[in-house]
Amino acid sequence: MKSQSLRHKKQTNWILALPMYIFSLIFVVIPLIYVIILSFLTRDETWGVVNEFTLSNFIRIFDKVYLKTFLDSIQLAVLTTVICLLLGYPFAYFMAKLKSKWKNICMLLVVVPFWTNALIRIYGWIILLRTKGILNEFLIGIGILDKPIKILYTYPAVLIGMVYSLVPFMILSIYSSVEKMDWTVVEAARDLGATRFQAFWTTTLKMTLPGILSGVILVFVPSVGLFFISDLMGGGKVMLLGNLIKNELMVARDWPFGAALSIIMMCMTLIFIGLYRKVTHTKDLEGL
Amino acid sequence: MKSINRVFSVLFASILSLSVFSSCTSKPDDTANSDKSSKTLNLFTWDGYLPSDVLEGFTEKTGVKVNYSNFESNEEMLTKLQAGNDGYDIVIASDYIIDIAVHEGDIISKLDTDKLSNYNNLDPTYQSQYYDPDNQYTIPFSAGTPLIVYDPSVVDIDITTYDDLWDESLADSVVMMDDARNVIGMTLKSMGKSMNETDESILEQAKQKLLTLKPNIRSMTVNNIQDLLISGEASVGYMFASQAALALEANPDLKIVYPTGGMGFGIDNAFIPENAPNQNNAYLFLDYILEAEVGAKISSQIYYLCPNQASAEFLPESYKNNAALFIPEEFLQDIEFIKDVGDTTQVYDKIWTAFKQS
Repeated sequence: MKSQSLRHKKQTNWILALPMYIFSLIFVVIPLIYVIILSFLTRDETWGVVNEFTLSNFIRIFDKVYLKTFLDSIQLAVLTTVICLLLGYPFAYFMAKLKSKWKNICMLLVVVPFWTNALIRIYGWIILLRTKGILNEFLIGIGILDKPIKILYTYPAVLIGMVYSLVPFMILSIYSSVEKMDWTVVEAARDLGATRFQAFWTTTLKMTLPGILSGVILVFVPSVGLFFISDLMGGGKVMLLGNLIKNELMVARDWPFGAALSIIMMCMTLIFIGLYRKVTHTKDLEGL
Repeated sequence: MKSINRVFSVLFASILSLSVFSSCTSKPDDTANSDKSSKTLNLFTWDGYLPSDVLEGFTEKTGVKVNYSNFESNEEMLTKLQAGNDGYDIVIASDYIIDIAVHEGDIISKLDTDKLSNYNNLDPTYQSQYYDPDNQYTIPFSAGTPLIVYDPSVVDIDITTYDDLWDESLADSVVMMDDARNVIGMTLKSMGKSMNETDESILEQAKQKLLTLKPNIRSMTVNNIQDLLISGEASVGYMFASQAALALEANPDLKIVYPTGGMGFGIDNAFIPENAPNQNNAYLFLDYILEAEVGAKISSQIYYLCPNQASAEFLPESYKNNAALFIPEEFLQDIEFIKDVGDTTQVYDKIWTAFKQS
């Protein structure tokens, strides 16, 4: 009886998942195949593509100029990730240790910004940071500065925008790791004579590693592609992979090269997720 | 129970895919297709490019309702039209993309100007351009030229040429349009070359020159460049005519420069795409926007040069006195369109990438 009902359940499960399969087929698999095919075609002189097989789109990526875009993007992504980790870890750690009432309030504060469009929040930063903006007026008003500093349209401004947009992902994934952590292990370490720091280093950090790594991926991967932040807060002076792909599609009308760049970017993502699985021996990202 | 489940989920799947499909494109009104005497017009252009009082005036006069669909860029427009006209009757887009569309073929339909009683209101200077030498396809809608605008109260030098933008005193204070062809084109102009240069050695020189401009660049953006000048974030701007006009209106002390050495120029045109479902209404609409008074209403609200010569008497004083919109004839002698440069586009793209990451 039991095994029969289980089998029955399996069958209906499959049917219930059908919409999901159809959805992924239409909106993920087919576009992906399209992009892969596109990346091996040739750009037409004026518009569109011609059906000529070529590898030149992938070879062009190794051009000095485009390689530098990759390096710049990775550099910014690494910086963003490190800062998010340094800010996010303590935040998530102490948030998980709060009483449940305060925990909920904290959680709400982390999530609330998502209720507003990301673009609008970035414009908020622009008003805050510009030369005659609120921050400068305030600092001059209380006498810390005597003339405004230029923050907006610099590299640090891009970094601020990136960290601001992505730090919630770090917080949420570390939080979920700390939340379900076994505190008796930490107690045991302390009982056995470890200092607070040693106990943290040898037990807490190890137990929250899946959360850290999943946070790292959730921050690192999108930060390569968030082109509107470098456009708006960096004054269009920083060229990232996302900007480059956008330019290829919209300005240079070089769809095959844009497709090739996207594929390389996807491969990078896959490598990171593969590494994550290897290190943590889990299949899913923490906190999702 | 099992069979009901199955029916339900199959139904759900089809509903899901249907609803997602229909919502992912802004589709014009289909009901018009079958009805020849329909009362709708499907307009396809940039957001906010046609003032609402003009659209309302058209509906009042003709009883035809306008469905406004917008695109972000010329490229998006052409991609959509090429996938098959989804029911658009009027499209307004830029010169170079019209040139491409004409060459691609079967995208733009030929105009029957006999159906347009106000056709002669057009200023011939805006007609017979390279993308439509015999005026078979297009009606000029608006025109503009990129200009230098600066704040003389902050800038110490007298800016008259493109080369002045390279002046050391302007460190970190110039804003520009985030547009590869316009900025590289401006650099080529400053060297006395064409904005559509295809000689790679000259383009290499332009690249080297452009790279030395980077220390002066405060920001590059597409939308609302004028705000940076008005708010004092920057003191010099290289921007499109409409933005320069808005900057001047907000701060009359700003100075407009018609750079010596030749200026860029662009004309946006209206056309009827192939297979437009409501052709008659499209002609009604074109004739309406060609009316002298309507032309003035449009140009004075979107802040572009007015290609309608009959509109002159209806244009408000503030428009006529705006130095970004009223450009003396002599400066409009030496203008150049930015054209498609074929495979050299890849060279421009590389220069632009190098400039941005420098």
